[in-house]
Amino acid sequence: MKILYCILTSLYLSTFTTAQATELPPGVIKPAPFNAPVLTISDIDGTPLKQSDYQGKWHFVHFWASWCRPCRREVPAIQKMWSIMKNENMALAFINTAEDEDTIFSFLSVHGPELRALMDKDGLATEQWKPRGLPATYLVDPDGVVRYQALGGREWHTPAYLNFLRSLIKQTQ
Amino acid sequence: MKHKNLVTILLLFLLAGTNTSAATRATIENESLRLRVATNAPQPISAFYEGRGFQQNMIDILKQQCFVSVFILNKSDDFIWLDLSQWKFKNADGEITRLDRHYWRTRWKEIKIPMAHQSTFRWTLLPETLDFYPREKEGGNIILPRTGKPFNITARFDTGKNRKGKPIIMNINNITCATDK
Repeated sequence: MKILYCILTSLYLSTFTTAQATELPPGVIKPAPFNAPVLTISDIDGTPLKQSDYQGKWHFVHFWASWCRPCRREVPAIQKMWSIMKNENMALAFINTAEDEDTIFSFLSVHGPELRALMDKDGLATEQWKPRGLPATYLVDPDGVVRYQALGGREWHTPAYLNFLRSLIKQTQ
Repeated sequence: MKHKNLVTILLLFLLAGTNTSAATRATIENESLRLRVATNAPQPISAFYEGRGFQQNMIDILKQQCFVSVFILNKSDDFIWLDLSQWKFKNADGEITRLDRHYWRTRWKEIKIPMAHQSTFRWTLLPETLDFYPREKEGGNIILPRTGKPFNITARFDTGKNRKGKPIIMNINNITCATDK
């Protein structure tokens, strides 16, 4: 009887954990999966993004521009999220769409000083991902498949979103 | 004499009403959708694109147009589809042809505008099509030729994941392109 109770309890708990992991926070959607386009871009210092930067990890890919009001509101949230998540098994690609170094530097020095800005100088890399608008966030699994997208800007530093990101990492560990 | 004064006052009142009835902004909503439009004067449009480092020939072309900023909020629990090919713009002279992405891509290519500026410009436009998820919101510009006459917008939205639900049609009348003061 005791053994049966233990088995049933374990089953219940694993179901509950799985249900929690797949629960999406507000504004995060799970569209049809697709292979993430390859990002051939460099950061503001000219250092190219390498596959080893994100291979085998969940990849938070974010497109933004300094002139976009929802982007400006969201950058501090991403900054805070990243200060918490950077030591966990996740990679961040924070990609500016079609702006110059001076604009990016001036903006991020105030709003996101710890974020490594990657530059899509001509805007073509952004278009390959077919964003719904700016800002655009994609969550790419360790196999390079886009599994989730965010609708507009999100409060990534708040518990609902942090727990969601952690649940993704936990799923693949 | 009294009658003449009364008629004059009435005419002046009517004229005043005509001049102020055309607006540069309007919001219309129902239980499913909020649609807000506002036209922008040339000076703020120029200032915005100058701030993005756009070259002068590009700005000169843009400030001649009528920029309509559009904001859409899906208030419902169902999908609502934006498809600009289903929107109509009309003034007293008839239908106005919207200057769409294809038009601008061709125009910018003709005058060799850098790709970065073309890209930024496209991101300031309202998407041509978008399946609005429940409670999703999005905004952007629609660009019309500037005609100087008030115009009407008929915006049609399909509904349902497969676009087979009852369409929503919203009419916004008597909008005028904003001018610099």
